[in-house]
Amino acid sequence: MLEVHHLTVRFSGLTAVDDLSFSVQRGEVFTLMGPNGAGKTTAFNAIGGFIPATQGSVAFKGKPISGLRPAQIAALGIRRTFQNNGILREMSVLENVLTGLELDTPSSFWGCVTGWPASTRAERNATARARAMLDKMGIADLAERPAGDLSFGQQRLVEIARAMVAGAELIMLDEPAVGLSPGDRLHLGQSLRELAAEGVAILLVEHVQDLVMAVSDQVLVLNYGKKIAQCSPEEVRNNKDVLEVYLGHA
Amino acid sequence: MLAQLIVSGLVNGSVYAVVALGMTVLYRSTTVVNFCHGEFFMLGAFAILVSQQVLGWSYTASILFALILLMLFGSLVERLLMRPLQNAPHISLAMMTIALSYLFKGISRFFYGREVVPLEPLVDGGPIELGSVILLPQDLLVAGSSLLIVLGFFYFFQKTQAGKVIQAASQTPRGAALVGINVPRFQNFMWGASAALGAVAGILIAPSTLVYPDMGAHMLIQAFAAMTLGGFGSLPGAVLGALTLGVLENLIGGYVSSSLVEITAYLAIIVVLVVRPQGLLGEWRQGRG
Amino acid sequence: MDKSLPASTGPASRGPRVRYILVIILAALLALPPMVNDYQLFVANTMLVYCLVAVGLNMVLGYLGQLAFASAAFFGIGAYVAGLSMVHLGLGSLPAILAAAVCGGLAGALVGLPALRVRGYYLAIITLAFGELMRWLYVHADGVTFGSGGFNMPGIALFGSELSGTGKYYLFLAVVVIGVGASALLLHSRYGRAFVAVRNNEAAADSLGIAVNRTKIIAFAWSGLITALAGALYAILNGRVSPDTFGISQMLMHFVIVMIGGLGSLAGSVIGAVLLTGLPELLRNFPGLEEIVFSLLLIVVLFFMPKGVGGFLSSRLPWMRERLYREGRGNA
Repeated sequence: MLEVHHLTVRFSGLTAVDDLSFSVQRGEVFTLMGPNGAGKTTAFNAIGGFIPATQGSVAFKGKPISGLRPAQIAALGIRRTFQNNGILREMSVLENVLTGLELDTPSSFWGCVTGWPASTRAERNATARARAMLDKMGIADLAERPAGDLSFGQQRLVEIARAMVAGAELIMLDEPAVGLSPGDRLHLGQSLRELAAEGVAILLVEHVQDLVMAVSDQVLVLNYGKKIAQCSPEEVRNNKDVLEVYLGHA
Repeated sequence: MLAQLIVSGLVNGSVYAVVALGMTVLYRSTTVVNFCHGEFFMLGAFAILVSQQVLGWSYTASILFALILLMLFGSLVERLLMRPLQNAPHISLAMMTIALSYLFKGISRFFYGREVVPLEPLVDGGPIELGSVILLPQDLLVAGSSLLIVLGFFYFFQKTQAGKVIQAASQTPRGAALVGINVPRFQNFMWGASAALGAVAGILIAPSTLVYPDMGAHMLIQAFAAMTLGGFGSLPGAVLGALTLGVLENLIGGYVSSSLVEITAYLAIIVVLVVRPQGLLGEWRQGRG
Repeated sequence: MDKSLPASTGPASRGPRVRYILVIILAALLALPPMVNDYQLFVANTMLVYCLVAVGLNMVLGYLGQLAFASAAFFGIGAYVAGLSMVHLGLGSLPAILAAAVCGGLAGALVGLPALRVRGYYLAIITLAFGELMRWLYVHADGVTFGSGGFNMPGIALFGSELSGTGKYYLFLAVVVIGVGASALLLHSRYGRAFVAVRNNEAAADSLGIAVNRTKIIAFAWSGLITALAGALYAILNGRVSPDTFGISQMLMHFVIVMIGGLGSLAGSVIGAVLLTGLPELLRNFPGLEEIVFSLLLIVVLFFMPKGVGGFLSSRLPWMRERLYREGRGNA
């Protein structure tokens, strides 16, 4: 589904991502791992269209997406979450999830302004879908709460609900486990495996070990922007290159 | 004619420079854009007016009075009105300065109604001729004083110990606090200093123009234009932008049309922000700085 | 509307209680004219005008969250376009009002363009400059705009018959109800959500497919349209249009109304407009008093009710809580 070929990102002399290649299949949970500064988030942002790649290409379902802007990438069925909260704090949880359906709500400007039945109907349908999504994620009771008031764990779930509500085929999650309690992490892991079972491709950037082990099908370890290993989670634990990189890490 | 226009422009520009400097100094040290700075200018002029005509004091006493009054004023504004809001979002701070602008205008309008009052010039004397350029003694005084103030200002900041401490505190308040600088007192001082600078400009210019409650609003936009031209947030930029604006206004008035003089400032703002937002000397930074 | 669906979208979602109250208010407004004298009717009309102004400004300041100082400019554009189209082109009152709205929308879109490149204080300054530029234009394009003295509006007629104070009132009421209603519908739709999404987190909005630039322009254009509509009504009400009305003092008043009413609150905008328009009439005899009282009110609000009257009320009365309201911890 997602094919990354020789992705390289350089900023003013620093090579943040160096010749990275991998692919993510349908229903697969693919994790990018590595110590801080390894280039995981940079690669992530380059794939998502937030920063330009210096070299290399990215393709989704066979079509090239390098150089596209984030909104265009979203229109192709790719969604992402953000490391330091992509939650929209001043909206309710339900409204957050509704923004996920922005591209899927066929209401025109003038339709909205005049309260045209077609637009109102589109809005109602979107709301029903959003509520169904919240039910599925087990957070329906939070629907009317302002998103900024929730705990980190709950906010992550809302972000994921928002990413999934439009039926995205690839979701990219940037360090979703940061700040979560072990119970929250478990719940998060379960949700991710359920999504994968439905055929969604998941690209994960993470360094919290237990989540990575529980959830991933494939793990790619980065250091200084370069791939140093790609294998299954069990194999990663015993891989000597990986151990060398993490030796000395708490 | 060109020389005359440029020189007169520099004279006007020198007053803008004092105003723009006051606003920039405050912005740099507190990250607040003070929308009532024009009113400090206006209050400075009114302070001179009141002390001369109501209290009957001499010019020197009036000037001292105005300076001290405005310095206290700025300090009070910071302590009572700005400090409690320091953790509020920027929009509240901006709104507070806007509310103050409105308040000061209202107060001076209350006392001086719709009158527009002339002051006596600081120095009398016939026009002085320097080559093809004619200047009034008042102009020389204004330009000279402004120059002194600006130079003194830069000397203080670059050369003296106190000045360097202030520069450091402006750049990183947190760092300054860590090394023991009393940041609230520092910000309080900067508000007083900024108000005093605004007042100085009011004092300098009041005798040549008329004193009226809305005079601050116009000066505010000139100051913004000067800061934008020179690079918002840059101290030398504020001075350079102000002088450029003064000259530009005169050139446009002289060669194109006198009715365009008023809008030179607005056009400068629009053109600069669209074409080269960082102005002449500034760094371009998105957001509220 | 489908009653089995849980309350969630559209103005009706605020519950039957709110609908009931709105109906009562509307009925009271409709019954007003015979119960008040001419002067009070004039004040009521002015309140209606400023309701629109507040809603228009709130769109950009509160919902989109940008510091734009162009509302006096839009207000003036509405007044001048309506008045000049009646004087020079002989348009009737309704077409003139419509023309004002369209021009306001276009002006708003134009002002929105720099907002794509600059933000924060830079945007405030450039919009301030734009407003003053417009005023200069009114004075200097005096062949068309009648210069610094301004001009008188012709008699206002609707469908052939001249409008009295009461007639104007019903016209204004209709325009304001439509304007505020349409704004409410817009804010409860995906466009309103897009405004707040862009305000809260542009990158996240981008990643969801929200067209960030287009959203900003739409917010500015709608704001310009509504505020210009108010300007047209203002011209009709006062019978006279002149440049000095539309300067910085006017803009400050708009800001004070919106801040006191509450950023991001439609009910607050209406409440703020009503409360604050009544005041100048009481204070008119003393120069400067209006400015002093308004600014003191704003200062008090900034300290004690940073979310404005609208925010204060919605924290006490849950049924008044509007969605997309500017919540947040501490001062907002």
